[in-house]
Amino acid sequence: MAKHTLLIANRGEIAMRILRACVKLGHDFVCVYTTADEQSGHVRLARELGGPERLYRIHSYQDPSEILAVADASQATAIHPGYGFFAEDFRFARRVETRQRPLIFIGPSWTLVRDLGDKINTKRIARAHGVPTIPGSDRPIYDEMEAVELAQTIFAFQQDQGIAEGCVLVKASAGGGGMGIEEVFDIDKFRSVYRRIRNYAKRNLSDEGVLIEQRIFDFNHLEVQVVAERGGKNAVHLGTRNCSVQSLGRQKRIEVAPGFDPVSLTYAFDAAKVLDSITTHSVNMSLQVGYDNVGTWEWIVTPRGDPFLMEVNTRIQVENGVSGITSRIRGRADGQHGVDVIAEQIRLGLGEPLGYTQQDVTFAGVGIEYRILAEDPADRFTPCLGRIEAFGWREEPWLQVFTQVPNLKDGDKPYEIPMDFDPNLALGIVWGESLDEARKRGAEFLNALVLRGTDTRGEPLRTNVSFLLNRTQTILHF
Amino acid sequence: MLNVKEMLEELNASPYEEIEINTPHTGVVEFVGLNAGDRVTGPSGKWLERPGTLLAHLTRERNKKPIYATQKGQVMDIRSELEGKFVEAGERLLTIRHFLSKEEVIGRILKKALHLFCAPERAKYYFVPEIDAKIKAGGEQSVKVREGLDMFIVSRMKRETPLSYSGPEGIIYAVYFQQGDNVDGGQPLIGVCPENQLSLIQDVVNRVQGEWEERD
Repeated sequence: MAKHTLLIANRGEIAMRILRACVKLGHDFVCVYTTADEQSGHVRLARELGGPERLYRIHSYQDPSEILAVADASQATAIHPGYGFFAEDFRFARRVETRQRPLIFIGPSWTLVRDLGDKINTKRIARAHGVPTIPGSDRPIYDEMEAVELAQTIFAFQQDQGIAEGCVLVKASAGGGGMGIEEVFDIDKFRSVYRRIRNYAKRNLSDEGVLIEQRIFDFNHLEVQVVAERGGKNAVHLGTRNCSVQSLGRQKRIEVAPGFDPVSLTYAFDAAKVLDSITTHSVNMSLQVGYDNVGTWEWIVTPRGDPFLMEVNTRIQVENGVSGITSRIRGRADGQHGVDVIAEQIRLGLGEPLGYTQQDVTFAGVGIEYRILAEDPADRFTPCLGRIEAFGWREEPWLQVFTQVPNLKDGDKPYEIPMDFDPNLALGIVWGESLDEARKRGAEFLNALVLRGTDTRGEPLRTNVSFLLNRTQTILHF
Repeated sequence: MLNVKEMLEELNASPYEEIEINTPHTGVVEFVGLNAGDRVTGPSGKWLERPGTLLAHLTRERNKKPIYATQKGQVMDIRSELEGKFVEAGERLLTIRHFLSKEEVIGRILKKALHLFCAPERAKYYFVPEIDAKIKAGGEQSVKVREGLDMFIVSRMKRETPLSYSGPEGIIYAVYFQQGDNVDGGQPLIGVCPENQLSLIQDVVNRVQGEWEERD
């Protein structure tokens, strides 16, 4: 395979993982950083593995011209967007691929990023391919009569399902961030809520379109890791993940692979069948739309075991490592220790064939990923700004830690947490033969973790370690 | 009591500041032929609509961006070795020695006379929309503040929280931050003048107007 130079258009731990994958695959790399990130691990690692000439200071990670100017100056041939920033920006992907000096976008083709990036459009595509989605509209509704009829149908559907207290969600289709959403428990009150949301949408969003769908309570959030080659002819899945432990703002904090553990836990439904169903649907849909890189099919599973596709993330995700650690590819040199999903993404993005089928993929044990953040779970997960004075963990064969924070002992130069980004400090992934062993190892890792610092007011730095420890005992319980 | 005379003497001993002109982003540098010692002007006009002296061009993705002097003054040193080279964001291009104007001197002295409301921690600060609208419509000094008034939005790590004013009642006399820029903890956000001290402040202004000599 030809040697490429990848520009890593990201920061922190994901930039470090991409950088290591480039080295592993024999490709060159170029890193960018901002002044606020001068202490970040990805800057140190790039300097260590490639020298200062591989580093470019830029004004902002979110300025596409900065990224492309550095790509030209460094003669990069491909751009890896990581997650966040440009990872799901189809305009950026299109610009990368269609400019005068085209580059390879390590991710799906821009048309797929565009088509699957819109949740409503994804719902439409999924329905067209027979994939179950949340009962309700798959396009904005502008007509009150049509809205009422749809709401009645959803209430009737819930009654048929034996759901004692049905609920319909009315939301502004152009809205987001939790604004312009109301729940309706009584069909007689539907019209007034519909009108209120429609007026809100008209005033604030200049679009009266309203979405109506079933409100599902107490669901589990599952994901399927799909890996597909360029051209979209071959695709496999690397198993499922359960991402139900989240903060108040619905941000993931613990991810577990596989998504359910019917071996050691009892569910009110056939959990193995649900996992089989969502992986089959995800891979089939991937093949039908010609998906051509790594991606995540996100599902919600109701307490009755009904899976509904929520959205497709057309990028690598933070939690890719937990799927990697529990997957094995037969016949591969690295097959014994799990799959490096990022290396797979780069390999496939550069046009290499998949080289294995679903039959070659096996699964082993249970993986748990902890997202360690400087935040206060007792105060609505408010981020905590400050400096880290001591940071370290005990190395174990069953543990992987990804972090941009340097190992620090008391007395070392503290690490200032940059204020421009999420307060993510580290990802810790543990592996065990069984759920029980993985949980024990998870608790062992968190208990042995050294993480001390001071916030900007001079008080001890608050982190979510205790929250993660408390939730470890109940993961995968429905 | 504010010793205006002493402060003016202190400023007279070092009546200038050195301003570094840095590249706002990556790109290829092209200087326009200025030399050390040349005089440059800053932006002018009622709304600062006329840019200052052109210092260099920075070309990125075939877009040529002019870089202008941000203040009037004298060019100290030019890094001519960067000519034609691709540079990183934040690279220093040249330094301008800028002599303090009367307004700047007044601003510095007033910082010691006003009640300063400071940033409690490093973050980006914004005025709440109502205060912002008042300032835009009638200027800073049209806004009265009192203890407990919701004045700022503090943004850090992508989360926003409100911040209330604490201190004496008065009018905003000076704003010391740019909305959206990072402000370090302890840095002043606004200077507030209690209404009964407005005459004292005016006295300071008059003395500086009369006693400070502008150098260029």
